[in-house]
Amino acid sequence: MSSDFYKTSILPFAGIIIKLCRAYTNSQEDFEDYYQEVCLQIWRSKDNFREESQWSTWVYRISLNVCLTLLKKKKNNVQHFVSDSITSDETEDNYAFSNESLNLLYDAIRKLSEIDRAIIMLYLEEKSQKEIAEIIGTNPNNIGVRVKRIKIKLKKILDGKIN
Amino acid sequence: MERSIENIWKEGFLESDALVAPKINNLYNQKSIHIIDKFKRMFRINLIAIVVFSFVFLAISIFVGIPITGILFFITLSVLVLINKSLLIGLDKIDRGVSSYQYLKAFNQWINKQIAINKKMSTFLYPIIFMSMILGFWFKDAEGVRLGERLVNEILIGFPNTYLVFGIPLIGIIIIVLILGLLAFFGGRIYMWDLNLVYGRVFKKLEELLTDIESLRS
Repeated sequence: MSSDFYKTSILPFAGIIIKLCRAYTNSQEDFEDYYQEVCLQIWRSKDNFREESQWSTWVYRISLNVCLTLLKKKKNNVQHFVSDSITSDETEDNYAFSNESLNLLYDAIRKLSEIDRAIIMLYLEEKSQKEIAEIIGTNPNNIGVRVKRIKIKLKKILDGKIN
Repeated sequence: MERSIENIWKEGFLESDALVAPKINNLYNQKSIHIIDKFKRMFRINLIAIVVFSFVFLAISIFVGIPITGILFFITLSVLVLINKSLLIGLDKIDRGVSSYQYLKAFNQWINKQIAINKKMSTFLYPIIFMSMILGFWFKDAEGVRLGERLVNEILIGFPNTYLVFGIPLIGIIIIVLILGLLAFFGGRIYMWDLNLVYGRVFKKLEELLTDIESLRS
């Protein structure tokens, strides 16, 4: 990966990649691994970008797909050695932000299903329903209702009603 | 007042430390160490498999009456394992503290040295293995007579004019020398084919990783 490409085409969207990678990982080591993989995949797939969507949407789509694939791989590996259930400890981040409220929100987001995590993060990034649907590959009409449900769920988790 | 998740999100990321991107260059470390560890593991398993095979083959060869084959096999494979074991010590000496690029480069140099040594050894290895088979069967006891001598006697009955050198048909010697020559000539290629079969995927990943880092450095 040339450093020019990284500086001009990836680094401006690093924020969105970091936020997403954080939601699918629970340690600094995993986070860095996911971030690296996302950057490499963006670089490797850059020739496939056909400007049908915005570059940011495309970056988000790749980031999400890479995170979901790595998460799936990790789960499969864990299942080979231990039980197939994810304990509540696994949702806690070893490496946290200095903002406590943000940490609590991230812990809550990690308790959501993989797709719900993606939807709420896109929503928090102020993406339109159409854009969210385009990235996820679903019907835009369902996004609004889904976001409301996820927000209620998150609120309950944050209030300590759901573990 | 209770804050909404939207506010927590926005305010949380206003802090300067929240969105620090990891350095891409350093991130290759984990991957390179993982690839090399995988290779080391495979290499050790391969050596153990050769040792086990040489012992099993020795036992079988004694049992079926071709101990010469078994002993020669055992000695040859033991030498092969010992040389590769000493090469493996060199691999363990590669410093993990250096940058991933230097680490991969050092590993690449080690692998090239290892391949070069084994390729040279293969020039002798395959002919020795073939010769051990021939000798094993030649000296195998066949009802009180050596199998080789019995074979020569039968050839002489069928072809009385067969020219012998030290009691062995010249045509047989020529064929064996020809096969030995071919095995010595293609030994290196057979080894490379075998190597790619076992370690091909690891080498490919290593090459990709090196290319990635090199383009990142350019």
